[in-house]
Amino acid sequence: MIISNEDDKLRESLTFAEPAIPERISADPEVVENGLAKLVLSIIELVRRLLERQALRRMDAGHLSDAEIERLGSALMKLEQKMEEMKKVFGLTDDDLNLKLGPVKSLD
Amino acid sequence: MADQEIELTVLEALDHLLDRGVVIAGEAVISIGDVDLLYLGLNVVLANVDALKRTSRK
Amino acid sequence: MKSVILGIHLREEDVEPVTKAMRVADLFASTVGVDDDRPLADRDLLLEIAGVRAKLLDRATFVAVRYGLSVRDESELATKCGDRTAKWRELLIAHREEVEMTLKAPPAAPTARPDRRDFESGSAYLRALYAATYAVDVDAKFRARIEETLVPRATQHRWMRDNTSVELAMLVRRSDLDAIRDAGEELRRDFTSVPFLLSGPWPLEVFASDDHQQ
Repeated sequence: MIISNEDDKLRESLTFAEPAIPERISADPEVVENGLAKLVLSIIELVRRLLERQALRRMDAGHLSDAEIERLGSALMKLEQKMEEMKKVFGLTDDDLNLKLGPVKSLD
Repeated sequence: MADQEIELTVLEALDHLLDRGVVIAGEAVISIGDVDLLYLGLNVVLANVDALKRTSRK
Repeated sequence: MKSVILGIHLREEDVEPVTKAMRVADLFASTVGVDDDRPLADRDLLLEIAGVRAKLLDRATFVAVRYGLSVRDESELATKCGDRTAKWRELLIAHREEVEMTLKAPPAAPTARPDRRDFESGSAYLRALYAATYAVDVDAKFRARIEETLVPRATQHRWMRDNTSVELAMLVRRSDLDAIRDAGEELRRDFTSVPFLLSGPWPLEVFASDDHQQ
């Protein structure tokens, strides 16, 4: 059974990432590099969100030691930082990656 | 069933299949430190995104 | 030919003839045969397997196995399952007449995401992220109604939150499914501005998973 009040917000909630992979990847050499960068960064961002989600679920379940919380927190911070650096390198914005942050919103 | 409802049903079924249930083998594990966080290979994660993408385009 | 594992079941007749069963300890795994060169990341395969799981659930409750596991044969499966089968057996017996239902909703109001630059340690950052995530909840009236009309019909329930949604997982007796459906319809009628999704029945997922164990 499926009962719902349909809404775009619901879809974002269900699918933890908006479809982030570009429709077509051009063969044009000038476009290729940027197209590939988008693809790779989108995948990394997806993985980052999944990791974050799992870390939060584990915290909710009370399954992380203090040491683990520190390691996970640091790793997530570094991942975020790397993403920002790479976006700068390729001149890509969140819009380019077709990313919309979920309900815990960024202040950027 | 209305189109939207079918789509939601598919999305929901995929979410349950890919993101829940007991994890038996840790072959494809993404860990941070010693904490195993992601059990699926990227190929299945991509399948998730791709499957959702194709569904939502209908 | 590889065998994708769908679930773990108490009896062979819970699996056959819907799909092929593979023994594991004193339990049975449901399997779907897939060509060796067919990737598991295939949308049609995923949908086919979702369909088989639904049919299996019609027969009897089982422990859901997260998609992605494929084995060559019974001994590979036995090695991978190890001694966890005893625990699964307990769950299967205890919850034979129950299924899972899920209610999902996006959080009512987004909170500001902590900026990692404000934090010195990984621990402080993750705790702040957790606090921001868990500061949100669904609409209060909506939640109250759920606690009144849905939760009492569950034998067990668990509220869960992560960075995209608030979820309620419930264990429900099969005989109570109609009552749950009615309560869900009522929710939809009375809360037209609250986006939510009530779905099920599902096999044992949240209530079988190690993730959420005490």
